[in-house]
Amino acid sequence: MRKVINKQQTYRTKRGKALLGHIVNTSLKYKLWIAFLLLIIVIGGYAYYRQLKFGLIVTAMRDYTSWGIYISNFVFFVAISLVGSLISSVLKLSKNEWSRPLTRISEIIAIAAIICAAVIIIVDMGRPDRFFYVITHLRIQSPIIWDVIIISTYLVISLLLLYLSLLPDIALCRDRLTAIPKWKKMLYRFMAINWNNHPKQVVMLQKVSRILAITVLPVAFAIHTVTSWLFATTWRPGWDSTNLGPYFVSGAFMAGAAVIIFTMYLIRIHLKLKKYITEIHFEKMGKLLVLLSLIYLYFNINEYLGPAFKMVGVEGEHITELFTGKYAPMYWFVQIGGLILPIILLIFRPFRKPLPIFIISLFVILGAWLKRFLIVIPSLQHPYLPIQGVDESYLHYIPTWEEWAITMSSFAWLLLIITVLIKLFPVIPILKAKLDSETIVKLNIFKNEKS
Amino acid sequence: MKGKIFKLTYIASFITSLLISINCGAQEIDVSNYRMLYNFSTVKQHDNSRVLEVSFIARNKKSKKDKIPVFDAEIDFFNILNDKEVLLGTSKTSKEGIAQLTLPENQSYLTDEEGYFNFKAVFEGTAGLDGEEEELAIKDIFIELYLSEIDSVKTVLVKAFTIDSLRVETPVEEVDIIISIGGMLSKMTLEEGYIENGEYEFEFPTDIPGDVNGDLTVYSIIDDHKEFGNVNKKETINWGVFHKQDKKENNKLWSDAAPIWMYVVLTFMLVGVWANYIYTIINLFKIKKEGVNLELESKV
Repeated sequence: MRKVINKQQTYRTKRGKALLGHIVNTSLKYKLWIAFLLLIIVIGGYAYYRQLKFGLIVTAMRDYTSWGIYISNFVFFVAISLVGSLISSVLKLSKNEWSRPLTRISEIIAIAAIICAAVIIIVDMGRPDRFFYVITHLRIQSPIIWDVIIISTYLVISLLLLYLSLLPDIALCRDRLTAIPKWKKMLYRFMAINWNNHPKQVVMLQKVSRILAITVLPVAFAIHTVTSWLFATTWRPGWDSTNLGPYFVSGAFMAGAAVIIFTMYLIRIHLKLKKYITEIHFEKMGKLLVLLSLIYLYFNINEYLGPAFKMVGVEGEHITELFTGKYAPMYWFVQIGGLILPIILLIFRPFRKPLPIFIISLFVILGAWLKRFLIVIPSLQHPYLPIQGVDESYLHYIPTWEEWAITMSSFAWLLLIITVLIKLFPVIPILKAKLDSETIVKLNIFKNEKS
Repeated sequence: MKGKIFKLTYIASFITSLLISINCGAQEIDVSNYRMLYNFSTVKQHDNSRVLEVSFIARNKKSKKDKIPVFDAEIDFFNILNDKEVLLGTSKTSKEGIAQLTLPENQSYLTDEEGYFNFKAVFEGTAGLDGEEEELAIKDIFIELYLSEIDSVKTVLVKAFTIDSLRVETPVEEVDIIISIGGMLSKMTLEEGYIENGEYEFEFPTDIPGDVNGDLTVYSIIDDHKEFGNVNKKETINWGVFHKQDKKENNKLWSDAAPIWMYVVLTFMLVGVWANYIYTIINLFKIKKEGVNLELESKV
């Protein structure tokens, strides 16, 4: 039987009400949204049940296209997970204070994305029960192992980064939120680890936060570089490139920035946080997106100019298929709609307003997902050594409903994790672990007696 | 405004005049501007056959770089002795302006009292081109190339001699000779020396790789000698020191066990990162310990 909480939540300030209100109150819209996500997850679950029962034959993956939309999706999730490091580390270390309200959003997206990336890899396996063979029969020289190691490393650091920044706010929830269920109170008490904003605690928290903010950078670069090496070390046209590492990293930063803009718009609207996620944030993120898109455009030119100029053998066929063949509409949509047009539009201030930039970001995200599709599938369909004795239909790849359902389900999981984390914790940092100068002297933080 | 229009008109006219002058440059060739270079030479090849060769090139009198090969000119090659002329054969110049006639080893020649063969290459001329002819006198020379190991030393021995009408061999004296080896695109000179008492000996280097089987083609060349012309001789021998790799280098990353450096590098990297995580978690425990009995001071 469900307990009815009669106690009315009171807030000391309007700010507290605005930033904590959504944790206490559960709207019908929220419930419907969760129900919708669960419905997609159930459909995806049924499709996965069929895949487990009948094997990968229920997918359209065959001898040629042995990696389908699951792997495209995996690369996409890894890409957007980089956004955590972009905002919480790069912008924080470069003292961009304006980005502070966005740090938690980016960290939440990073965690949700990296969890989904790890899971979708297991979904791609025909025999997931053999996953642990990867550990028990570990070959350190295999790029797959590098990926397993780096994903787990990045997941841990993303969790730590989120938790460290959340800690003062969790303690706040523990102390201030009264009209919440008992399990929530217990959760906050457990997670707050006796945080009292004591100066010594603050010093320790600041120290480890700074170390992790630096550590996350090489780990974040490594995660997407290693993912690119999964392709670069495989002998296929389009992947045999030294450019692939920075190409993937730059693309990930661009996609991640777009995901942040997209998410912060929705949060701003639905949680009524216009005062905290302001037009300035969209303006700054718009400029950042232009910069990241230009870098990605540069790597795109590098990636395609050489093979397109030489048009050698299978590389030439692959390029022709992208430029003028069956993948041309998708390719040009990605390049123009998902890259060039956003750059041009976002140069102009009116397009950096919340709604226009939200729509532009949607195109960038769509382009980013399709781009991963174009990286994976057309390359696989042009092996250097033709595969013999297979059906002609193996040359084509049209995902089955099971693949689409599982892919959609992975997106539903992503959104569910984000939604639940936003529901549980303040999405905008409320308290900042900060010391005044008097306390710094008292604690002798800088270890200088005379000071 | 008027000045601007005038300026633009002037620039446009200048560019147009340049284009016209460039097109006007494509004129018909006037032969009188060219000097005909008609060179006749002979090469005795390694199989003792002889090549008679005419190079027929038109060179601009003003610009030495402007050379045009004379194509399809019919050249008659004669062996002459006093008033006697024996037609050896006819050849037409190629696109490069070269006409060649190869005479077999057993070709008989008219020889003068000093033992010279006299050759003549004649171009009869056409309506546009004057006739040309050139003669050369060559003594026949025989080269023998011996490649052998003497006391484990790889030695190249060249013997050169002439044969008179009585079939008596006479060693040649002070003739420059070049020892080369054949490469993919051209010959590489190993040594230049001269023949004394009809012989030249050369110690072959021990560090020439040769082809994949270690085979080398050694050439002895007399180049543009005033008496003997050009003479080549070649032999192939397995003297190459082909440095085969002692063991095949496999991709170590495809092996059962990874190379040590990979374990070391990955361990360092991972320990570097995960140590930070452990340090963070330890600090979180310290924070928990520190926070007992203290109250949160919130601004909210």
